[in-house]
Amino acid sequence: MVYALIGLSFVLIWKSSGVANLALGGLILIFSWFTYSMVVQAGLPYWLGLPLVIVFAMAMGWLIERFALRPLIAQPILSLITVTLGIFYFLEGLAVFIWPWMVDALPPLFPPEPFRIGPAVVAQAYIWAAVISLVLFGLLTLYFRYHKMGIAMRATADDQFAVQACGIPVTSIFSTSWMFACVVAAIAGVLISWIGGLHFGLVETGLKAFSIVVLGGLDSFIGAMVAGPIIGLAENIGGGYLTPFLWGGLKDIIPFIIIIIVLFIKPYGLFGEVRIERI
Amino acid sequence: MGLPCGTHNYTYAQDMAIMRTKTHWALLIALLVLVFTAPLYWGDYWLSVANLIGITLIAAIGLNILLGYCGQLSIGHAGFIAVGAYTAAVLTNRLELPFLVGLIGAGLMAGFIGLFFGISSLKVKGFYLCIATIAAQFIIIWVINHLKITGGFVGIAVPYADLRPFSDFVFDSEASLFYLIMVITVMCIFFAKNLARTRIGRAFVAIRDNDLAAEVMGINLFYYKLLAFFIGCFLAGIAGSLLAHWIGFMNTEQFSLMESILYIGMIIIGGLGTALGPILGVIFIRLLQQGMMFVAPTIEAALPALPAGFATGIAPMLFGAIIVLFLILEPRGLAHRWMLFKAAYRLWPFSY
Repeated sequence: MVYALIGLSFVLIWKSSGVANLALGGLILIFSWFTYSMVVQAGLPYWLGLPLVIVFAMAMGWLIERFALRPLIAQPILSLITVTLGIFYFLEGLAVFIWPWMVDALPPLFPPEPFRIGPAVVAQAYIWAAVISLVLFGLLTLYFRYHKMGIAMRATADDQFAVQACGIPVTSIFSTSWMFACVVAAIAGVLISWIGGLHFGLVETGLKAFSIVVLGGLDSFIGAMVAGPIIGLAENIGGGYLTPFLWGGLKDIIPFIIIIIVLFIKPYGLFGEVRIERI
Repeated sequence: MGLPCGTHNYTYAQDMAIMRTKTHWALLIALLVLVFTAPLYWGDYWLSVANLIGITLIAAIGLNILLGYCGQLSIGHAGFIAVGAYTAAVLTNRLELPFLVGLIGAGLMAGFIGLFFGISSLKVKGFYLCIATIAAQFIIIWVINHLKITGGFVGIAVPYADLRPFSDFVFDSEASLFYLIMVITVMCIFFAKNLARTRIGRAFVAIRDNDLAAEVMGINLFYYKLLAFFIGCFLAGIAGSLLAHWIGFMNTEQFSLMESILYIGMIIIGGLGTALGPILGVIFIRLLQQGMMFVAPTIEAALPALPAGFATGIAPMLFGAIIVLFLILEPRGLAHRWMLFKAAYRLWPFSY
């Protein structure tokens, strides 16, 4: 379910500005460690620490958009992709720079007692993660459907020139969408590091999330929400059942295999819009 | 100095020439002599740096053909290099075949793996392709880690390169490896420079600029895109083989996603789609890396207030920042700057 959130963060940026944010893994890493700094190192309580993380995420999103992506507006897609790769590289360096000890854990927010649904036993953290993801998804959907800014964002995704002609500031739309996406990524990062601990594998988690957007379709929120659990299940169940036949650790690359399969069979994903190209 | 100062060619031979004047030839020969006598006055340290640059350059030329000329973004280049390195390692260590067989085998193997992942480039492009190649990177590394024959997580030792079917010579010193690597590097540069001027190279450029239009004009996308993947990955495999024999021990740690991104960074910094670009970019980045290895611990020792991860973290931060800055400020790379400089020099003191 948390995968779905990371996917959402990606779709947000793709939908409004057409930029493929490959730096997601790095962003999630940074936000998780920042939460750690706030909550563990600075000893702030959660009610103060988490809002600070959100603020930090917004600042980060704004900075990236303003200084790295705005100068590249209207450049070929190659530059846009590689600039996020550059940011990715930078962020990973930054994480090593500030938090060099690699592995740690956040103090638990949710009580450790498991949750019982019929015969199934589920850790509470998972339930909460799922609930938070769903709530965020609902909020974002409503925002895009009814709020003025959300509508403007969808319009920008559709046609940047027409939107500009209507007097909507396209650049501030881009900033806003980056800020939103970073907040969603931060929440996803915090949830994931609650469940799995803090380590540099978070980068890979961010990359695995691409399988979700590819499966769900790049420009579809609902696609991300549907594909998130599918990938999560495929990863765990497939890893569980196939490992005896193949090698151990299969779990780690199932998302990547799915990416290749999806790209071969249905490259625009389950809910993605099929682009028709013209010269 | 007899440097050309304009386009005034009267024969086709003149038009086709890479080296247009006698001074050009003299400079080229001087450079080659300088490079190939380098072991006489460079110590082992600088030779090893030069070897690393040479190997990286071969891989970067491959990526430049794929990305710079054909426009197919591959973020799995380190994965393809790993394929080459491990193929060479398995062939020469486990099967005890001669080095040359390993070299060609590594190139072919990487080329065919590249073809397989390149097939997706026929259906998708841009972002989708780049995701596919990221997936390729992870799948390749995972498979290598879990195959028995490659030594898995432990790694595999690679014997010295030799020339077995022809002579008993063994490349066991930095200097001898330097000659081996430089000869292959020069061949690759020459190959890439000429490839760009052939029918194939022009087809690649057409595909890069607009693949739909290229197809309409009668360029076989299937053939040329896969050819670009094959050539790019073949060179990556050659570089991998040399890397394996140079380091002597292979481990998948050396082929991370970060390394792949760095390769893209190198050719962007150098200049996409130029013959000169990869050379400048690779030298720039690899020298910077070596420089950082010296400078970072010194700075760290001088300023104890810095956080503990300074020495390891500063290099990726710097490279990331450089890639971003180059994309924003000089997307055509160092090669373009060099062209501007040449033009200014040629026309000086006039400004046009």
